[in-house]
Amino acid sequence: MRADAPIFGFNSAREGIVREVVGRISSSTPDALLTLNDAAYHEIKRLEASKGKKARAELAEWQKLARTVGRMSDAERRGRLRELAEHYGWDVAGNFDGRVYDLSTRLLPPLVTALLAPRKLLSLARHPRKLVSLEALGDKVLVEGPLEQLREMVKTGTAVYVPTHQSNMDSIVFGYALERAGLPPATYGAGKNLFTNPVLSFFMHNLGAYRVDRRLRHSLYKEVLKTYSTVLLERGYHSLFFPGGTRARSGGVERRLKLGLVGTAFEAYARTVAAGRERRIFFVPATINYLITLEAETLIADYLSEAGKGRFIIEDDESSRLGRVAAFSRKLLDMNGAVEIRFGAPIDPFGNRVDEQCRSFDRRGREIDPATYVEDGEGKVVLDGVRDTQYTRDLGEAICQSYLSNTVAMSTHVVAAACFARLRQATPGGDLFSVLRQRDTVVVPRDELARDVSRLKEQVLDMEKRGEIVAGDWLRHASGGDVVERAVRAFAGTHSTPVLVQRRGGICISDPNLLFYYQNRLAAHGLAWDTLAPPGAPVELSRLAGTHGGAQGAPPHATPDPGGAR
Amino acid sequence: MSGEKRNGGRAGVGVVGGGPWGVALALAATRTGADVTLYTRRDHPEGDKGVRITTDLAEVAKQRLLVVAVPSSVAREVLRALGDHLDGTHLVVHGVRGLSGESLETVSDLMREETPARRLGALGGPVQANELTEGRPSAMVCGSRFPEVTAAVIAAFQSHWLRVDKTPDLRGLEWASALVGCLSIGVGFASQAGAGPGLLAALISRGVDEAARITAAAGADERTMLGLGGYGDLLASIALEDRPEVVVGKALARGLSLEQAQSEARLRVEAIQLIPRIAEFAKARKVHVPTIDALQRVLAGRPAADVLGRLFAAEK
Repeated sequence: MRADAPIFGFNSAREGIVREVVGRISSSTPDALLTLNDAAYHEIKRLEASKGKKARAELAEWQKLARTVGRMSDAERRGRLRELAEHYGWDVAGNFDGRVYDLSTRLLPPLVTALLAPRKLLSLARHPRKLVSLEALGDKVLVEGPLEQLREMVKTGTAVYVPTHQSNMDSIVFGYALERAGLPPATYGAGKNLFTNPVLSFFMHNLGAYRVDRRLRHSLYKEVLKTYSTVLLERGYHSLFFPGGTRARSGGVERRLKLGLVGTAFEAYARTVAAGRERRIFFVPATINYLITLEAETLIADYLSEAGKGRFIIEDDESSRLGRVAAFSRKLLDMNGAVEIRFGAPIDPFGNRVDEQCRSFDRRGREIDPATYVEDGEGKVVLDGVRDTQYTRDLGEAICQSYLSNTVAMSTHVVAAACFARLRQATPGGDLFSVLRQRDTVVVPRDELARDVSRLKEQVLDMEKRGEIVAGDWLRHASGGDVVERAVRAFAGTHSTPVLVQRRGGICISDPNLLFYYQNRLAAHGLAWDTLAPPGAPVELSRLAGTHGGAQGAPPHATPDPGGAR
Repeated sequence: MSGEKRNGGRAGVGVVGGGPWGVALALAATRTGADVTLYTRRDHPEGDKGVRITTDLAEVAKQRLLVVAVPSSVAREVLRALGDHLDGTHLVVHGVRGLSGESLETVSDLMREETPARRLGALGGPVQANELTEGRPSAMVCGSRFPEVTAAVIAAFQSHWLRVDKTPDLRGLEWASALVGCLSIGVGFASQAGAGPGLLAALISRGVDEAARITAAAGADERTMLGLGGYGDLLASIALEDRPEVVVGKALARGLSLEQAQSEARLRVEAIQLIPRIAEFAKARKVHVPTIDALQRVLAGRPAADVLGRLFAAEK
């Protein structure tokens, strides 16, 4: 496996990759003046708003460029463009250190375990052989899906993993899942802000992550990123994209995707075919399911506040506070099956099913040569960005479909859905924001809640038979009362405010915002109140009813950002 | 197949379906000088007019651009058979009016399910079969998100007497075409029932507005219903005395049963099955559709005064 995965030779290939990127940008930019002006405009706007010596120096640089670019000769402009592309290319390019990789994959689980459950480490120390085994996390983190097929496919094809995105822990958890599944590591773009996060940067540095600076909005930078990704895919680097674009603020399964980087697979594949090489690219949709989400409070608050609409990056959330991460992770690892990564059926870029030899089959089971999708009538490969945009869009729909059927319903989601339905009943004519104001007001008798949960569970199991969702292992076998018990235990002490509180009369619904967050995971399936539906999905009229005033000063808006991603 | 040379640079088109609509499209393409193959299971004299007739799907699939023009009731079956001869290079459009099954799948959905082709599109708009056959000026719409599909359709069909508009809203065009069929029944019904120009205009305007909202609820662009593929198509279809949907509407207004009305129209009227399903679709999405509800009462054989009275008087 190791010899097959090109990422192990990344460092020696890096210079060639960056050179390739710079070369392509230079030759494919039609109007250097326009591109430079666009970059200068966006950078000046950004830097004028930032403070600090470095920012001021950069600002002066860009202002100078903006003043002089009009008078430059075309050769000079091309020169500047090249310099900038090179600068960004190196900034994006990551590092991969096989030793660090080995260390982290072997030590990460015990390391995390140490951080989280010191007592367990003691027992590990007594049995040193276990120290290099990933089994320590075995029953906490479940990895499911067609793993054997994927292991076979990565030998001849290039994998593009496209999981759901809920938490900053996702890239680590997913990297771990790949290792557990016996799959080679994948390169991925991670927000540059994450590299300054003290907890995460340690894990991400040197593991093939490339840096995406989301503050840079101009087209030149975006082109560098896309070209970088294209070149990596062409060279057979397995890649990981989070097509949600950012963590799902609402907690819901993504129904709208940002497909910029996903789209690079089409050009990469067309170029591979044009070069006469037989290496296929396949997509693996996956869901990462958490019993509890580290950043739930920040995310849902962000989702609900109007400010959230313009906020892309949350610099200071739960994932940057070591204590919170440790407490949270301890909680997570205290409960079996608290994280489940589920790989969906792999598909080719054109939505066709693929087998373990990476061969494509249409829905009627006919084998189909994927190269024909990038060829014209004469069998010549055509690079066509507009065509690929449409393919990308179709692929996005297939990915969303896979997300739905591979969502794992867990105790917290089901209990949150049941509680939220109770809150709604207790809020006559209630719009979302009136429901969210019901803090500590509704107490549900335990047995009634258990009954509601039981009913929902049956619905989940029915849908599972039709392949529309997956019931979490634990949920499947537990009684309604046990499910409630587990959810209460999972919530307890996880977030800074209590979610459900045990009272004499039953269970008091304490934090509607967080329950909203957790129930949203099942909204797209029709199992919970769906206030997030994009156009085209059945909606409930009541959510359009008067939404004046808002919880925590949140402004009324009846149609929050679909999928929470932007 | 992808390695084969196709028709030496001339625009080429394969038409699947030997009914009046398929034949009309084939003839229209010959007028632009396109190389035309027509797949049909019937006998046709059009072989003399520059159309190559074949009974072999493999033969028609040698063209890169394919136009499927069969009744919606057999669309799935034809597409499945055609799919055996297609690959990813084909550009496939259809001119089928209707939505299939309980889940209201569009024909392009069927194409995705039954064939490996992905570069898909649809034809719609006001053009009538006899205008194409006789070469009278008219206009149609090609809906596709693939510019190369639209370009190929324009190359094969657009001439100085046939204007081909384009829209990227494939789904919207398909829904609009189907909804126009439904509204045509209502217009035929009302005009036979003695509605004057004012009431007809009100019915059409409201019906189109409703249809636009339904189209939006189906995830498409509501403006598509307001354009040539919706409003334009409706205006053309109600101007025709022999349009099957209009015939059915008129027959119902004369008090004939649904069966009698159908047999009077001679051709199968897809809209009859479609109306209740669309009503249900709208209900599930909380789209207010009084006209579609009125159409359901029309199909249920309610008298005209009741239907129109309820539609226009009930709301205050």
